[in-house]
Amino acid sequence: MSGPTSRADEVTRVGAAVSAVVERLFGAVAAVRAAALRSSAWDEPRSGRPVLDDSVRDLLRAPGQLAVGLGLVVAPQPGRGLPLRLEWWQVDPDSGRLRTLEPDLKPTSLGYYDYTAAEWFDVPRRTTRRHVVGPYVDVHGTGRYLLTLTEPVVVEGEFVGVAGADVSMRRFETHLLQVLGRLPVPFLLVNGEERVVLSTAPRSPVGSLLPPAAGPAPSGAAVPGIPWRLHLVDDGTLLRA
Amino acid sequence: MQLLSGDARRAVFAPLDDGALRSEAVVRRVGSAIALGLLGDGEQLPTETHLATMLNVSTVTLREALAELRKLGLVETRRGRGGGSFVRSRDDVLAELADARLAELGTTDLRELGDVHGAVAAAAARLAASRASRTEIARLRDIVDRLARAESVTDQRRAEGRYFIELAACAQSVRLTMQEMDLHLELGQLPWPPEHVPELLDVIVAGHRAVVDAIEDRDQARARALTEEHIETRTLWSIELRLQRVADDAVRQEVS
Repeated sequence: MSGPTSRADEVTRVGAAVSAVVERLFGAVAAVRAAALRSSAWDEPRSGRPVLDDSVRDLLRAPGQLAVGLGLVVAPQPGRGLPLRLEWWQVDPDSGRLRTLEPDLKPTSLGYYDYTAAEWFDVPRRTTRRHVVGPYVDVHGTGRYLLTLTEPVVVEGEFVGVAGADVSMRRFETHLLQVLGRLPVPFLLVNGEERVVLSTAPRSPVGSLLPPAAGPAPSGAAVPGIPWRLHLVDDGTLLRA
Repeated sequence: MQLLSGDARRAVFAPLDDGALRSEAVVRRVGSAIALGLLGDGEQLPTETHLATMLNVSTVTLREALAELRKLGLVETRRGRGGGSFVRSRDDVLAELADARLAELGTTDLRELGDVHGAVAAAAARLAASRASRTEIARLRDIVDRLARAESVTDQRRAEGRYFIELAACAQSVRLTMQEMDLHLELGQLPWPPEHVPELLDVIVAGHRAVVDAIEDRDQARARALTEEHIETRTLWSIELRLQRVADDAVRQEVS
């Protein structure tokens, strides 16, 4: 290297790495969506036949897959007698095997997984655009700390559900830190709610919210393709007596 | 049924490890799951073999427990094609079961349970005050509103359970969330104080609203202190209900 990397170069490099991961995950979502769209199950929605074929499981098992869960979440249509339904596979964190997600869909239960109210379902339905939510605790679902990426599935002009991918915060972080290697300056990646998505500054761990006043100046750089911002921070070591 | 860790029903079928009196422990666990709606009215239970494996009890113990649940009217077994064991949700039986559980426990057990719940929920409230997003705070508020409107005892219990579980999720903590789910399965085995004194529901709702206000104000110390205080009050209610029972029993004995 001819000299110290400039801060602007560093921001560009981190931003590009984050964008690449996000696009790779949305690539998996698009494959799920394509599998949903070529399914004939939509012709007889009442049959309860699965919409997705084996390709989705193969995709989840593919080497280098970052997603820990993939699938389709169907929009319920009470008027047509169609209940809440998921076709979601996920990698069991202990055994590495694929399991289907069968959450509690009884509205009267303490454990009711009310996904139609969940941001990852509701936002793509309303905006008809792709969406990323998290990090968040997927209560009553997978029980993991996740990012969930979803996009709407529209059949003959009608919203029928969302295709999506889950990535655990552990996998997201491990992958990106490995790709980025040694960094000259600590940085914070924050989502639209000012929640830390990725951090190399120990004072602001993943999941914390940036305090409104004490946070870095709004000079944070936009990350292409996703409403996240990147801040370089001056954060000295805490490992000091 | 494949239950993942985030699913509150997981705790229902987690292995029992309390040794003695296992068939009673199965009965209590199932009763609490029904009270919290985790097992719904008419829902089919897994097969005997599967259930015994999940709960880590012998099939003999499991059969004893199912016989007891049938006697109580919480489970109905149908033979033949489409047969199996089905859940029957009955508030009167659940209240009796809760009362019987209270009688088994000492006031120290109640204090211990309250101490752990206080530690978990107060830590969650403090963290939520710094980590909950506006959307999450709005969701908490919505749950408390639902609790205020809930009419049946079971609806009130469920709404309150969801409040505490959501509070832990607002703390961005999977572990605290799991702890809350497990604790609620135990708390669900005890009487619900507003069932004895209906006005207490207002106290509970006001207590939770004050915590949500503190979280919204980003006041960590207040969120923590109010949660601790509230759960302490709740523990004292359970202890008083327990002691009242002793007094009632004494009166009954004197009369007879």
